[in-house]
Amino acid sequence: MLAFGLRRVFQSLIVLLVVGLVAFSMFRFVGDPIDNMLGQEATAADIERLRGELGLDQPFLVQYYRFLEGAVQGNFGISYRQGRPVFEIILERAPATLELAGVSALLAITIGVALGVFTAIRRNGLAANTIMVVSLIGVSLPTFLIGILLIYLFSVELDILPSFGRGDVVMIGGWSTGFLTVSGLKALILPAITLGLYQMTLIMRLVRSEMLEVLRQDYIRFARARGLSQRAIYFHHALKNTLVPVITITGLQLGSIIAFAIVTETVFQWPGIGLLFVNAIQFVDIPVMAAYLMLISVVFVAINLIVDLLYFAVDPRLSGEDAVAGNG
Amino acid sequence: MHKLISMTALMAVLAAGAAQAETFRWASTTDPQTMDPHAVNSAPVLGFLNNIYEGLVRRDKTMAVEGTLAESWEPIDDKGWRFNLRKDVKFHDGSDFTAEDVLFSYQRASSEAADTSSWFAPVSEVIVVDDHTIDFMMKAPNPIFPDSIANFMILDKGWAESNNAALPSKEEENHATLNANGTGAFKLAERQPGLKTVLEPFDGWWGDKEHNITRAEFTPIQNPATAVAALLSGDVDMINPVPIQDAARLKERDGVKVIDGIEARVIMLGFPHQADELKYGNDAGKPNPFKDPKVRAAVGHAVNVDAILQTIMRGAAQPASQLVSPAMRGYSSALADRPAFDPEMAKKLLAEAGYKDGFSFGLKCPNDRYLNDEAVCQGVVAMLSQVGIDAQLDAMPVRNYWPELRADNFDMYLLGWSPGTFDAEHPLRFLASTPNKEKKLGSWNFGDFSNARVDELLPMIQSEIDDGKRQAMLDESAKILQDETAYVPLYVQPLVWGARDNVELTQRPDNFVILRWINVN
Repeated sequence: MLAFGLRRVFQSLIVLLVVGLVAFSMFRFVGDPIDNMLGQEATAADIERLRGELGLDQPFLVQYYRFLEGAVQGNFGISYRQGRPVFEIILERAPATLELAGVSALLAITIGVALGVFTAIRRNGLAANTIMVVSLIGVSLPTFLIGILLIYLFSVELDILPSFGRGDVVMIGGWSTGFLTVSGLKALILPAITLGLYQMTLIMRLVRSEMLEVLRQDYIRFARARGLSQRAIYFHHALKNTLVPVITITGLQLGSIIAFAIVTETVFQWPGIGLLFVNAIQFVDIPVMAAYLMLISVVFVAINLIVDLLYFAVDPRLSGEDAVAGNG
Repeated sequence: MHKLISMTALMAVLAAGAAQAETFRWASTTDPQTMDPHAVNSAPVLGFLNNIYEGLVRRDKTMAVEGTLAESWEPIDDKGWRFNLRKDVKFHDGSDFTAEDVLFSYQRASSEAADTSSWFAPVSEVIVVDDHTIDFMMKAPNPIFPDSIANFMILDKGWAESNNAALPSKEEENHATLNANGTGAFKLAERQPGLKTVLEPFDGWWGDKEHNITRAEFTPIQNPATAVAALLSGDVDMINPVPIQDAARLKERDGVKVIDGIEARVIMLGFPHQADELKYGNDAGKPNPFKDPKVRAAVGHAVNVDAILQTIMRGAAQPASQLVSPAMRGYSSALADRPAFDPEMAKKLLAEAGYKDGFSFGLKCPNDRYLNDEAVCQGVVAMLSQVGIDAQLDAMPVRNYWPELRADNFDMYLLGWSPGTFDAEHPLRFLASTPNKEKKLGSWNFGDFSNARVDELLPMIQSEIDDGKRQAMLDESAKILQDETAYVPLYVQPLVWGARDNVELTQRPDNFVILRWINVN
């Protein structure tokens, strides 16, 4: 178990380093930040001087090494655009993204599981079929379109929800939260639906098919024969057995909710790290781009690692194989 | 009872409306990246900070220069300018404004760490005469100096020094990045970079108040569709800009209006004047046809600017004949006609130049710099193909575009130019002078256009005090650029803002949102 864990941590570190390497080799294709930083009246000498100061005249491997050197010491550099420490900016923006992602994931899981169970039990009912058809929209429509449609319906036409932003926030320590104000909660609704819709339909379809599978099993028939109530059969015996794959998928999807928040945040002007990243690309703000990409890969790698370790804990067969592989 | 409740609710709504009426909320695509008036020379920053900081002079609603912190100014023979400062001015923190603050701000804004140092290239020395008189001495006679420093903003010496912000800083954060202490009509109440910036009126302002705003909130909204939705739903009172394709639809909606005008920016086509060979297209490697003025003139006749303006710009822009728009100082009114749209003439000129069967080349174009820039380039490509020349379009984001142009990777390119000084001398210096690094000339003349007479006229224009003689020389330069077809000016970029019906505002060609002219009814 310990060897397995250590080996996975080591592999994760290598993945992180490779992601950083690929990112840094691509930055010069994103463009040149100097024009954005200096304005139209800058002279060639100014441009050369700034390029030298920022180290942009160095090969990307040197730039990457410098970034790693700083990052190990907790210093992610200074944003070209804002002239402020990147770490500080990301800390400022992270609560917005995490709250949005958390609410979206919660919506996706609760509604997804509930609808999944419902459509599985009433698999030939009109309501269930309607839900299945409508859920296709959630899978197939791109996020930005859903976002814009929701804004036009609920903000412009009905005028009941804000069209952009996060509403008023309350600071608790270093954490800005939108959960404690009415405008903050209202502002959460549309972006959370937009971001969570895809995952919701995914979970729903997964739960439905797993549930249908389980309901065919012998022990369900025996449970029915024993005269257990429908409720106990569906929710105690059947649902429990469908949840193992659902938990795995949900865990992995949590990472993509945070990463895909980029689109939702741009549409709703949601002030999270996704929007920060989009800004950074437009300005070629290399320190922010680098820090963001590393952060997202850390999140993905960490989630994968946890899922792997959970598997290990859940499925005893893995440890046996591991032991064999270890001996061999 | 039911009626009573709904009446109360109605009154509550009305009361809330009245209390909010003087809060002005506006949105634009970019957040001003710093609150430091000398750190960045870009329109979003300078435009925003114009509400907080003030200069010696400022521009009025017609773009003419008027006194601000300087009550008056006069030339000191040919050697410089004397500014007589206003005496009753206080900074937002209550300290007095004196000539020492101007000297300090000059030193700060002209330092190497500042982005604004090019404004002070003509200055040799600044002398404080007394608390309310200051002299800016020039290296050579300079008639337009007061015109050129309308965006030079003054900050408080004591405040900057005691907060460790004596120099603007890009490489690290300093106090002036997030805080401000100016003399302007509004003071900074709250600053959350990228999220929200709140301004409040400054009670101790020296000027007469023309606005009724009690609080102004700025939010950057990057996605144009979101901004339009925010305006329609009343979440903001004004947006800048409105996407051109949405302008017509907005005009038809109740409760909102569209305010359009023209910007200072002229959009033009540029050519490689010195390159020997074409670099792109099917004829890459063959001799460069654009060295021949007839070919350049043919391009001018081949492009139907009116059609571009009607279809792509939806009638919002104006055709341009020179490198500056008619609203700029030094515009040559005698040269207001652009080459007539005449495909036959274009074909004739091409045939005379030896390109009867046309040729193929590459057109470089940005796709996120100017309004509908890529669409305009596609229009140009279609029009050029009508006269038999095949342009192959390569459109890219502006962050990749300037490095390409700087590396001479183009056969023709699209460029927009907005003169920072609002004077016709500005594009001559940057776009028409033979590039010269030591003299800092021609830094945006990517095609290396070079004309001895234009180069000779520029320093004379820069130092001519007499307006008539100066204009004659500007006219001569503009005539040469037209005759040689150094560039093909296309149009002056439109400016389209959207606002709620109850907002009264003034739109200036520099695209600055000036809060002190805004009334919310």
